[in-house]
Amino acid sequence: MNITRTINFTLNGEPVTAQIATHQNLVEVLHERGLTGARESCAQGLCGCCTVLVNGAAVSGCLYLAAFADGAEVRTIEHSENGELDAVQAAFIETGAFQCGYCTPGMVLMTRQLLDAHAEPSEDEIKHYLSGNLCRCAAYPEIIKAVKLAAAKRKIERKGAK
Amino acid sequence: MTPFELAEPTSLAEAIALMGEGAGIGDNAARAIAGGTALMLMMKAGVFQPKRLVSLRRVEPRYAEIAATPEGGLRIGALATLTALERSAVVKQAAPVITQTLKTLSNVRVRNVATVGGALAHGDPHMDLPPLLTALGAQVRTVSPKGERTLAVGELYTGYYETALAENELITEVLVPPLAGLRVAYKKITTRAADDWPTLGLTVALQLNGGVVADARLVVSAATNTPTRLAAAEKILRGTTLDTATLARCGDAAVSEVELAGDAHGSSAYKRELLRVYTQRVLREIWGKS
Repeated sequence: MNITRTINFTLNGEPVTAQIATHQNLVEVLHERGLTGARESCAQGLCGCCTVLVNGAAVSGCLYLAAFADGAEVRTIEHSENGELDAVQAAFIETGAFQCGYCTPGMVLMTRQLLDAHAEPSEDEIKHYLSGNLCRCAAYPEIIKAVKLAAAKRKIERKGAK
Repeated sequence: MTPFELAEPTSLAEAIALMGEGAGIGDNAARAIAGGTALMLMMKAGVFQPKRLVSLRRVEPRYAEIAATPEGGLRIGALATLTALERSAVVKQAAPVITQTLKTLSNVRVRNVATVGGALAHGDPHMDLPPLLTALGAQVRTVSPKGERTLAVGELYTGYYETALAENELITEVLVPPLAGLRVAYKKITTRAADDWPTLGLTVALQLNGGVVADARLVVSAATNTPTRLAAAEKILRGTTLDTATLARCGDAAVSEVELAGDAHGSSAYKRELLRVYTQRVLREIWGKS
């Protein structure tokens, strides 16, 4: 029984090759590469701490076979376009939208997905995207404020770019 | 999870062959994996310890297509993701109740990878699509070494996590008939978050003719081993105008004809009361829609 294989994928913009076991999930393989922003917490796809983007779409890394990342473009919270924090991260800091920070990478990635789809999200749209992310410190009111602030910051960025 | 061999065939025919002879039996049998969100939970829990997984992600892309039929129904490829279904314009037009149901089905990340076929084949009685598609009169097409067959979604479930599918039989597509004026609502009653597993699921489909109920389908789920039609309650509704007395009798009949199992989301007694109340409430809501 062949239970190992080599996969090739793009990780945060860099091409990588990894030796994996077929039963490893994506979070485990990222941890082996020193990327610990995505973490397995509930292990059931409910809490969002393991959020990773595969080909631009958010997935629960704890329920995603690493083998399925072969040929894909994978992005994690560690990725940065220009080495600086983006509007979403800045908004989370400004509003204090966390206590322990454990859920924050997932919250930030899901907020980016939300704002990519809905630049000026309604409260319903915010809940639609973030209801699958649990904050055990219950910083939810601040998180919603952060999302709205991030939307406003992105709007200013768009105007600046024009 | 215990180690397994991962096969990634490029055709459905090859996938079925890989699930056949010599691929294990029972909880060690080869399993098909599409999104894997449900299967991996079972494997993490040690319920399944397959020696081989057969990935469907490289098979012919036509099995992921969603299209309207000339009659106004839908053909949904089994490998369509739940996100594709949620965002499909043709689904929203032909059966908006499906679009609406997907909004609170798990979360964005799970919907991005979970597939329609997986959601139907898994057999978890808490899932949202099986009762809804049962009430819509939808069918699944399947393929196995014995050939193709078509069966009603309502015939797919034989028990708690048990389906009529053979171990090497795969769902290829779902056929949803035209709604043709059918008024449908799926009510997912949760006791915690909106996207939690339901305490009780209730689907109601009503066909009205001149202000009178011509046909009614009521399907209860999540508190029963399989999505279950409420035949006695349905019968009470036919030929009526849903007056208060009829609604009350219908609620009582629903509770009388089905055993509801209590769990962490509510006791049996609580679920019975939910069923009695929601049967009437959902009927009234549907009736109110012009």
